[in-house]
This record gives sequence, structure tokens and C-alpha cells, in this order.
Amino acid sequence: MLAVIKKEFKTYFLSPIGYIFIGLFLVMFSIFFYTDVVAFSTTNFEHIFYSGATVLTFIVPILTMRTFAEERKNGTEQLLMTSPLSLTKIVLAKFIAATLVIVITELCTFMYFAILSYYGMPDISIALVTMLGFLLLAMSYISFGILASSITENQIIAGVITIGFFILTWFLPNFSEIFTNFSLINMFSKFVYGQIDIADTVTYVAFTVLCLLLTIIVLQRRKSVR
Amino acid sequence: MIEVKNITKKYGSFVALDNVSFKIEKGEIIGLLGPNGAGKSTTMNIITGYIEPTEGEVTVDGINMLKRPKKAKREIGYMPEGVPLYYDLTVKEFVNYMAELKKVNKKERKQKVANIIESTGLKEVQNKLIRNLSRGYKQRVSMAGALVGEPQILILDEPTVGLDPKQITEIRSLIKKLGKNHTVILSSHILSEVSQICDKVIIINKGKLIAIDTPNNLEDKVANDNSVYVTVEDPENKMENIKEKIPEIKEVKLILENEDKTKQYSIKGEGNVDLRKIIFELFAKEGITIFEMKKADTTLEDAFMQLIEEGGEK
Repeated sequence: MLAVIKKEFKTYFLSPIGYIFIGLFLVMFSIFFYTDVVAFSTTNFEHIFYSGATVLTFIVPILTMRTFAEERKNGTEQLLMTSPLSLTKIVLAKFIAATLVIVITELCTFMYFAILSYYGMPDISIALVTMLGFLLLAMSYISFGILASSITENQIIAGVITIGFFILTWFLPNFSEIFTNFSLINMFSKFVYGQIDIADTVTYVAFTVLCLLLTIIVLQRRKSVR
Repeated sequence: MIEVKNITKKYGSFVALDNVSFKIEKGEIIGLLGPNGAGKSTTMNIITGYIEPTEGEVTVDGINMLKRPKKAKREIGYMPEGVPLYYDLTVKEFVNYMAELKKVNKKERKQKVANIIESTGLKEVQNKLIRNLSRGYKQRVSMAGALVGEPQILILDEPTVGLDPKQITEIRSLIKKLGKNHTVILSSHILSEVSQICDKVIIINKGKLIAIDTPNNLEDKVANDNSVYVTVEDPENKMENIKEKIPEIKEVKLILENEDKTKQYSIKGEGNVDLRKIIFELFAKEGITIFEMKKADTTLEDAFMQLIEEGGEK
């Protein structure tokens, strides 16, 4: 499994995808750093993540759309599926590799924290809780992106499905209050205030596990209908 | 080594494989033959565990592929059709990745990868990106990927497609060499290739197993047409009534009149009589000079065509 994680992670940076992802992310974060933090003369580091979560909606598909779609299109999935590796491990490995890219990006954002520390006293615990929430949100997005990639061999379709779904969960609460608790992005706001909400954490983790399970089922099912 | 038991594969109402069973012994090189869409790749994909059969089972070295896929897959090196590869990796990275996937021991991995790169003739391109390689090299990289991890069984789907004649000979001799300590299954469209390399041939048509035998036996099976081709110089035109002088002859047919006044005939004999000796002796007495004489050969191609046609009628 480590082999697949290593290879997937490396592939992100052998192609421009990894750099585009991190680049876009940091450009947007720098803008938010200015508009949400510097412009208000605060040291609320976590505010950039609040806006950053919306960016996540649009750039996570860059990471996930190719995961299974590309392998299927190029036929390389034959190499993967005929190797002595279980589907669960293959799916997990791809998930972990994409998550690692997010972790690296989050680590990069510490530079804003460092700048703020120079001028004031930003709250480290709130910052860490926010980052944890951000990671949980990203993980649930990634798992859905991987699921979308497993059902098509067209990367673009996988990407569009992913963005479409994220936007849908984002706006659902506007249609009916019932959906308030299902909006992935809304759940994130509590983390920004420094609270680790158990219910929200469990929802994120459960959603992630559900999507990964569905991916495994999709791949297993394709074995018998392919 | 490999046992395929009553495999059926259905796609909706379309039957891709219909109750196919066969056994392959250790160390055999098996050729899988059949027209396009006959079910060759489907058969290979099922043996490698890439797809699951609708019914039936596959055992590899006594291990059931459906029940214990991890263990069974370790015994198989697979070179899929169309040589899918990771184009962003270099040759060395790819072979190393395949070695990791197949769980080659970490201590031995470096050495084993180097050996395989050497033996498949990839050493001078090992640090090149796969996307920049020629077709022949890509084929070898795919082969190297199949070989790594020392599987007992190699499954090669059309290993020589798209290669130039020199590369084809190289790959063939590589397969023959590998056949000494591996069980090899290969599919091909080129019949001469199969009869050269393979110990046994499996012929599939429209999802059904038609024949499994050695190339020679298959040729013999259809070699019922006992004919001899002769080219003769016959100034007195004695060939016209030669049939009356040799009772074993069933039919004499003029095929070709050459410019140097020699004529080519096909002479069909009764039953299994070898006409060549009789013809040689009698023609000399009659003053017919034989320029060339040869027994009609059935090739694997004839056998294949006949079996496929028979199969179609059934």
C-alpha cells in the first residue's frame, strides 16, 4: 500500500497538478490574508481558512478527478487490479496521497501565522483547531472526488460532478432548513471559533468513510460487469 | 498449474465466454488463438483476476483466484493488451513500482529490478520517461513489469503487435527463453508465431473452446487431403492417361503451365498412400522428367480456418 501512496504522491508533483493546486491555494490565501486579516488589523489567523474553505470547493477536484478515471482510460488499472493488492488498500492509498497534498498546503499556511506572530499574539490553539476542521472538510471532499472519479473514465466529467455536488451541499440550507446539518461547508464554521464539535467531526469522518466504501463497491462491482 | 473450470462470462444477454474449461501444465507455452472478439482477452482477464466470471472458477497453482486473489495474483505476471504504462514515470521507476506492488523484498528489490532491466534490454533507456520511448521499448517495459517479482506464470496479451520484424524476433526468443522456467500463455493473431513458439494451442471462437492440442496434432487432424504437387516436363503428353497406370491415384489436375514448357499438376491419392515413391519410379519409366515434387502441407493456418468454420456451423 505504501508503494501506491508513494507513487500517487510523486505523480502529483511529476505533473503540474500538485504545483497548480498548491500555487492556486496560496495565491487565494494570500488575498484572504490581506482582505480578512491585514485589512482589519487583527491577528485572527483562522479567518483566512473561513474564506479558504470556499476555495477548497473548486480546487479539490484538481487533485481527485484523475485518481481512477485516468487509470481506467489508459488501461493502467489493469496493472493495479491484477497486483496482489486489495481494492480497499488501493482506494485508501489514493485517498491518503491526496490528503497528504492538503496537509502540505496547510503547513505552508504557517507562514501567515509566523507573520502575525511577529506583529501580535495570534491564538495557536484556535489556529490548530481551525486547521483540523479544514483537514476534515478537505478529506470529505477528497473522498467524494475519488468516488466521482471511479464512476467515469472521463476526468472532466468526474471534476464537474465533484464541483456540482459541493456547490449543491453549500446551497442546500438556502432551500430548506432540514439540510442545514448536511451542509459540509457550514459545519466548518464552528471549528473557526475554536470549537471541536463532536457531532460535526463524526459527520465528516462518516461521510469520508461512506464515500470510500462506495468507491470500493463501485470498483468491485465493475469487476463483474466489465 | 492453471485450471480453468466451466468459465462463463455474460454481458447482459451477450455471452462472451461459454462454459470454457482447460488445464495448463507447469512449464508449457500456450498460444491462445481466435478471431477478433472471440474471447481471448476476456479469458486472460479472468485468469489474471482483473474481471470475475459470471460462472465457473480459476485455480492458479492450486489457489482459487476468486477466494484468495492476493495469493493467486502473486503467481501471475500480466502484460495487458495495448501495453498500458505510467507515462510520467521513468523505466526504472516503473519497474521498481511494479516490484513494490508485487511485494518484492526490499533488500533484494534494487538488485532484482536491475537484473530485469538488463535482461529485457532496457538498460540504456532506464532513466528515460516512458512517454518518450518507442513502441518497441514500451513493449519491453511492459514485459519487464510482468516479469518482476518472479511470477511462475506469464500472461502476455498480443506481445508482438506493433513491433518491427527485428523486434518481433527478439521478443519471440525472449519468450522462448522465459518458457524454460515459466508457464506462459500468450495470445496472438500471427499463426506462424504461435506454431513456432508454443507447445500447445487453444483455439477459441465466439466464446467457445474449439480445440486444445499441440500445433502438430492440430495440423494432422485436418491433414486428410492426401495430395502431391509435381512440376514435370512431359513432351509426349503422357500425363493425360497416367491415372490409368497408377491405380492409387484418385485425381490429376493441371494447375499451371510454365513458360519453360514445364507443367504443374496436383495429384490426389487414395486413402493414406504416399504417392511420392510410386510417382518417382513410374514417371522415370514413362520418360516424364520431374523438376519438383512436394507433398501438400497443412499448416496451422489451414487447421485454424477449418476448425473455426466447423465451429461456426455447429
